[in-house]
Amino acid sequence: MNFHLKTALSSLRRAPFQALAAIFVLTITFFVGTALAVLIYSSSRALSYFETRPQVIAFIKEGSGVEAIASLQNKLSADTRIKDVRYVSKEEALSIYKEATSDNPLLSELVSPSIFPASLEFSLSDLSFTEDVIKEMKSEDLVDSVGFTASLGGEKTLDDVVSRLRKITYYVRLGGGIFAGVLLGTSFMVLMIIISMRMIARKDEIEILKLIGAKSGFIRSPIMIEAVVYSLIGVFVGWLLTLILVLYIAPWVISYFGQIPVLPREPVVFFALFGIILSAEILMGVLLALGGSSLVLTRARRKK
Amino acid sequence: MVKFKNITKTFGSVSALKDISFEVEKGEFVFITGRSGSGKTTILKLILKEILPDSGKIIFGNQDIEKISEKELPLYRRKIGCVFQDFKVLPEKTVRENIQIALAAIGAPEDKWENRIDEVLKAAEIEQRADFFPSQLSGGELQRVSFARALVVEPELILADEPTGNLDWDTAKGMMDLFEKISREGITVIMATHNSLIIDKIKKREIKLK
Repeated sequence: MNFHLKTALSSLRRAPFQALAAIFVLTITFFVGTALAVLIYSSSRALSYFETRPQVIAFIKEGSGVEAIASLQNKLSADTRIKDVRYVSKEEALSIYKEATSDNPLLSELVSPSIFPASLEFSLSDLSFTEDVIKEMKSEDLVDSVGFTASLGGEKTLDDVVSRLRKITYYVRLGGGIFAGVLLGTSFMVLMIIISMRMIARKDEIEILKLIGAKSGFIRSPIMIEAVVYSLIGVFVGWLLTLILVLYIAPWVISYFGQIPVLPREPVVFFALFGIILSAEILMGVLLALGGSSLVLTRARRKK
Repeated sequence: MVKFKNITKTFGSVSALKDISFEVEKGEFVFITGRSGSGKTTILKLILKEILPDSGKIIFGNQDIEKISEKELPLYRRKIGCVFQDFKVLPEKTVRENIQIALAAIGAPEDKWENRIDEVLKAAEIEQRADFFPSQLSGGELQRVSFARALVVEPELILADEPTGNLDWDTAKGMMDLFEKISREGITVIMATHNSLIIDKIKKREIKLK
């Protein structure tokens, strides 16, 4: 085993309570950090889900020709403000209706395709274009009327839903960021205190090492490795706890949110998400440990 | 090998050394003697560049040690082995590990460590205690560990600060035999001591501080 790693691990074993204190604080930080990352992912996915729902439905006048409809569809597809244009025929409209009223078959039996108009459904790349696009659609000869999907959670328009989700996402990010920042700051301080205590405990050893000609890198390495070990254990345990928690609540979350993909449903994507979070946290943990230990070592050197 | 030219060192209002000049030749064994507080340890610290003189010059080989930068200091110190009165061994490490750390610190290749450690353990006559911890050793044995650690890096100069200060006469004699042995092998030894029995026994040049 590497000489410095061996020294760092033996130093860790010599003061288990200091090591545990540092690891415990770092575990809490990265547990919350991982949970926040998942929460930010979920809110972003929910926002993106609502943003990409068909938002505008242009109902086509009865008797409009297929070529004219196709021409309008092409025109809309070419418009950069508009995306995911889809033609819904009368029959498709009926089947959507039937599906929506499947719990009451009587309702679907009373209707025929003829009462449903064909439509062109599409979403907007940005909701700020809504008003203009609706106005333009209304001026089209083929278009009978224009609908705007809404009525989710009592909001009047989808715009309300999206803006509410945007707000929630913003506050989750802001609040989460501040909270994570405070926890990271606390971890940084605790790490610095523990490293300072370890240095005081190793004062004689450091003095001897200097006298026998050890370079500063040789003296610093075990101290920095020790901090990185604390950090990596904290990262891994915190991450693992969140993973277990999310795996435990995932069935409930998925069934509660239904079609809204707040959590990845495919195991590969799910573990890839956690893999990415772990990689980012390892990087952050290593930077935290190296930053904290370097600061303590630099301060100790200046004091001398 | 070591030249002190008009060295003066004060600590606050206390004058530790005043206009001291002397020279130690390569391979020489020299005692620095004087009463407590006369500046013996200060001389050793000046050679190690732990402290700097207020005035004067210290030359090691052809190098003015004042001009050695922070970065070069470890390389300079690798030429010097130190033996202390209070041994300065690491209590959590075994005898072998205490010596090993010196080799690790100078970046000696790991595959050479074991042979070199065995050599110095034998030279210091403590090979039977290699896997003991300092708490399991006597004062004389601890001093031999300190000696072995100083020797393992193959220094050009050994600085010994009262190495027999905590030892009984018989143990001290044994230690001095070790110093004489390495001196005969060409290593320069500068020893600070106030033990007149030792000085009388060894009969080497003496630099007296007043």
